[in-house]
Amino acid sequence: MRRRPGIGGLQTAAAARDQYRLLGENVAKLRTDLMKEQLATFRSQLEDFARKHKNDIRKNPTFRSQFHEMCAKVGVDPLASNKGFWAELLGIGDFYYELGVQIVDICLATRAHNGGLINLQDLCKLLRQRRKSDRELVSEDDCLRAISKLKVLGSGFEVISVGKKKLVRSVPTELNKDHNQILELAQAQGFVTVDEVERRLSWTSGRAIDALDTLLDDGLAMIDDGHRDGKRRYWFPCVSSITSVGADS
Amino acid sequence: MQRLGDFKLPAFFNYPPYFTLQPVRETREKQVQLWKELILDYCRTQKIFVIGLEEEFPLFSNLVIERSLSNEAREAFLSALVSEGRAEWLDKGHRKCLILWHRIQDWADLILSFVKENGLEDSVMTVEEIRSGIESRGTELQGMDRTVLMRALKVLENKGKLAIFKGTSADDEGVKFSI
Repeated sequence: MRRRPGIGGLQTAAAARDQYRLLGENVAKLRTDLMKEQLATFRSQLEDFARKHKNDIRKNPTFRSQFHEMCAKVGVDPLASNKGFWAELLGIGDFYYELGVQIVDICLATRAHNGGLINLQDLCKLLRQRRKSDRELVSEDDCLRAISKLKVLGSGFEVISVGKKKLVRSVPTELNKDHNQILELAQAQGFVTVDEVERRLSWTSGRAIDALDTLLDDGLAMIDDGHRDGKRRYWFPCVSSITSVGADS
Repeated sequence: MQRLGDFKLPAFFNYPPYFTLQPVRETREKQVQLWKELILDYCRTQKIFVIGLEEEFPLFSNLVIERSLSNEAREAFLSALVSEGRAEWLDKGHRKCLILWHRIQDWADLILSFVKENGLEDSVMTVEEIRSGIESRGTELQGMDRTVLMRALKVLENKGKLAIFKGTSADDEGVKFSI
């Protein structure tokens, strides 16, 4: 004969449920603790690593860039805040903010010459000249990081890729695809002619002249009528490497 | 870095487009500024007072990059100096230009301190002596342009610091200081 459910059965079932819940909570807590412990270990390991290689991180640009890469992989951004452990430990934040200020300075000083577009290599060279008293080396990677921090200011600093080169833009001009292609073409010799643009890019002469005129108006190009062949050359200071122009004045 | 004698040329001197007058205003302003500084610098170190537009002038051509300034560009750069009081056209046709790396007033001040340093406050000197005498050797006054010197002396004469008087021959003017 089957027993009908009574008060005792209900109580047993409730007690069992409680037991299970308690056990479950214990297991979950154990897991969280373990995770916390692992995280703490990981953090202290990373700190140890950073502390141990502090000098390498500060002095050696290649090492610094690899350290950043590692941090990015594990989801830590040493630049996220100037306060806190990373800044205190490495002074990394200040380093990049300082670079940022110097980069803005150089971009402004050379703007009249290059129209607000500067080759990343040239920028680095000027940056190093300016910091020559400083023994800490600066790599292109550092420049890029500092520039990415400048974006927060909304000041329109941006890195654009033209062909193989990276250019740093400090003016709000938008470069369209045509302009980019011309800049890429100009990288070979530092200048282009209308003929060359038409021939190499298979454009109509109207399209070439139009694009070149815009670049000229934006101050990114300069004309040169002095060559023997009598063809007007359009020079682009942002892709040639006469770097000292404008920077010293 | 390229050099003209002992003069160090700036980097822009080797960048071809700087030898063509730029059509866009902002670019051109920068270009004119760089050329003005270069011309003044060069004239000061080489003690050049007069530039002839159609004559050979080392800054107007760069053989290395095979570029030279057009007459229009030369006139534009010099005119910019004229408008700042750092140069004066010597003729109506704008073919000859007097370069004043010191303004006339500054030259007058230089003469005054020269006179004081040499204790010549009450002395008499010929104009020629000021330009090429023993006292002026090694100073900025040595070899200075006669026109500029006379203009500076006139400024001082108007202030009562000296009197200019004619000597026996026309090119032998004298100066009596009374500072």
